Amino acid sequence: MVDLSQYLPILIFLIIALGLSALFVFLPMGVARLTGAHNPDAEKLSEYECGFPAFEDPRSQFDVRFYLVAILFIIFDLEAAFLFPWAVTVFDLGWSAWIGMMIFLGILTVGFVYEWKSGALDWE
Amino acid sequence: MIGIEHYIVVSAVLFVLGVLGIFLNRKNVIVILMAIELILLAVNINLVAFSAFLGDMTGQVFAMFVLTVAAGEAAIGLAILVIYFRGRGTIAVDDVNRMKG
Amino acid sequence: MQLQSSLALIAPEIVLSLAGLALLLIAAWSRNAGRLVTILAAVALGGASVLVAPALCSGAMGPDTLAFEGQFAADAFASFAKILIFVSAIACLMVAPRFFDRDGAIRAEYPVLMLFAALGMAIMVSATDFMTLYIGLELNSLAAYVLASFMRSDDRSAEAGLKYFVLGALASGILLYGISLVYGFTGTTSFEGARAAMSGELSMGMLFGLIFVLAGLAFKIAAVPFHMWTPDVYEGAPTPVTTFFATAPKVAAVALTARVALDAFGMQMDAWRQIVIFAALASIVVGALGAIGQSNLKRLLAYSSINNVGFILIGLAAGTAAGVSAMLVYLAIYVAMSLGSFVAVLMLRNAQGEQVEGLADIAGLSSTRPLLALCLAVMMFSLAGIPPLFGFWGKFVVFWAAVEADLVALAAIGIAASVIGAFYYIKVVKVMYFDEPAGVVTGRSDWAHWLILGVTTAAMSPLGYLLTRVLGDLADRAAEALLFVA
Repeated sequence: MVDLSQYLPILIFLIIALGLSALFVFLPMGVARLTGAHNPDAEKLSEYECGFPAFEDPRSQFDVRFYLVAILFIIFDLEAAFLFPWAVTVFDLGWSAWIGMMIFLGILTVGFVYEWKSGALDWE
Repeated sequence: MIGIEHYIVVSAVLFVLGVLGIFLNRKNVIVILMAIELILLAVNINLVAFSAFLGDMTGQVFAMFVLTVAAGEAAIGLAILVIYFRGRGTIAVDDVNRMKG
Repeated sequence: MQLQSSLALIAPEIVLSLAGLALLLIAAWSRNAGRLVTILAAVALGGASVLVAPALCSGAMGPDTLAFEGQFAADAFASFAKILIFVSAIACLMVAPRFFDRDGAIRAEYPVLMLFAALGMAIMVSATDFMTLYIGLELNSLAAYVLASFMRSDDRSAEAGLKYFVLGALASGILLYGISLVYGFTGTTSFEGARAAMSGELSMGMLFGLIFVLAGLAFKIAAVPFHMWTPDVYEGAPTPVTTFFATAPKVAAVALTARVALDAFGMQMDAWRQIVIFAALASIVVGALGAIGQSNLKRLLAYSSINNVGFILIGLAAGTAAGVSAMLVYLAIYVAMSLGSFVAVLMLRNAQGEQVEGLADIAGLSSTRPLLALCLAVMMFSLAGIPPLFGFWGKFVVFWAAVEADLVALAAIGIAASVIGAFYYIKVVKVMYFDEPAGVVTGRSDWAHWLILGVTTAAMSPLGYLLTRVLGDLADRAAEALLFVA
């Protein structure tokens, strides 16, 4: 059977992490309550500047254009992941690796140009 | 010691969770997209674990491909979902029934 | 030099990808170049077919056809499938402009997506490594999801795209999970390596991997029990796209399945054969029974395609060179029949020029549009496999291969089930010829539709038997290349 004792470090880590995080959250609250004046009003409890309301249905709808930008971001972000292993080995692999990556980036650029020309990047 | 079996078990559990997430979920199509990602990540755990276990790089290269294709897949899924939402005004799974089946 | 010979072998794919990228840029710059881009895409596909043809005619096989250290094989088998794919893609491009004219001109993205889908399928059928397989499959699928939901304003199209996406992504996930298991237990992703590693006892992990891979592929070819997406997607997608789905991706997925089964898993034929036999019989029966109650022609043809996949899989189940050759012959005939029947559906328009796809709407078509009704009737009889027509030949070679491989029971059940299938094909003909004319179908059709319908009808008529020798010869070469083991 699985030897549970090998998970002991993780258990200790969890306990310490929970304890520390609880301390960080509750200690300032307690200190503030003891030292400061505690008289909240509507203005103080409202969201600070551009923050979102803290308690409301999280599944509210928001603008579909955010989705569009997010979609475009995901694609280009993850394709860039190919650059990291390439960058490490390009000097060992020589010109064919360099040309291969340039072709790949060229294809990405064509996609980007299409996206730009078809107006996917315009907010309006 | 954590062996290859542990990784296979974790990935099998994630894979089953993903498949169940697609079939048992009756609420929201976005959840289905997340379940699909879960399946692909289960596959990635498998590939990377096997790659480390076998001392062979192929699995990790494959995992990179899976990651990037998964991103493309998610993007297209979201795009289709947006079109669907524009037409119907809902993304509840039970409403995807314009055609019987 | 090795890189150069590899690049020479993938010349058709390079042509397609360069054409796709260039046309994408044209599409970005001029919004109404739809027709021009469609023509250019068809030319690119034609060029790629010409580049592919020599490998088929010379029966290329063996190590000379392997590119990129065994990740890609440009052999005769791949070429056979590629030509079928490219030709059906060209046909689907030709019929599209007239269809999209109804809501403004055709958008240039349609041919570009077709090109990328065809490129993905070309990579699929040439794949000799699970990584190449996955890339090709996804390139095809991602383009196909978008094509299915191409009519953005149409509810049914968006729903078809969504369903296709969810189930297609699930299928990819299952396939990929199987691939990861195969990789883990054989230590390689190449088909050749997997074949060598599986030559001994089949371990539990390998067995699971094999089953998951086959299940994922069964999804892609819409074989029972993974067929449930087909009717909805075929009904909802725009008809030219449905025509495409019923032809090219089917060829690609079947060819891919054959290569995976006979190459990568070739040493474990007993393990997958029972799965394929089950899927074949279940597809024939479910396809035949499911079609009976349908009132929408596209849904009916969707069930018909499920039914046909069953017959194709019988050829694969035989597992011999004759079986693979029979499978390829059936595939070629099936592609022609599907193109013909979907194009005929595409030609059904009412007086306002809108598409008509109900079974009741074609009542009495023989008196209003006699030529169209005749062509559709030829297609239906051919799909049913009634002897004088060419569709019979496909069924005959497949059953013959099964009998020769000692699968007599399978062949017998298949023949019995094809009789059930004949029922609804004949029902369509009966509605066209003996019911009161509904007078709905009055719109005109353009020359591209007539051309494709005419060619396919001629091929399916008894004239098609002139082709048997050429077709059989090419299919034999392709099958030989697939079963070639160095």
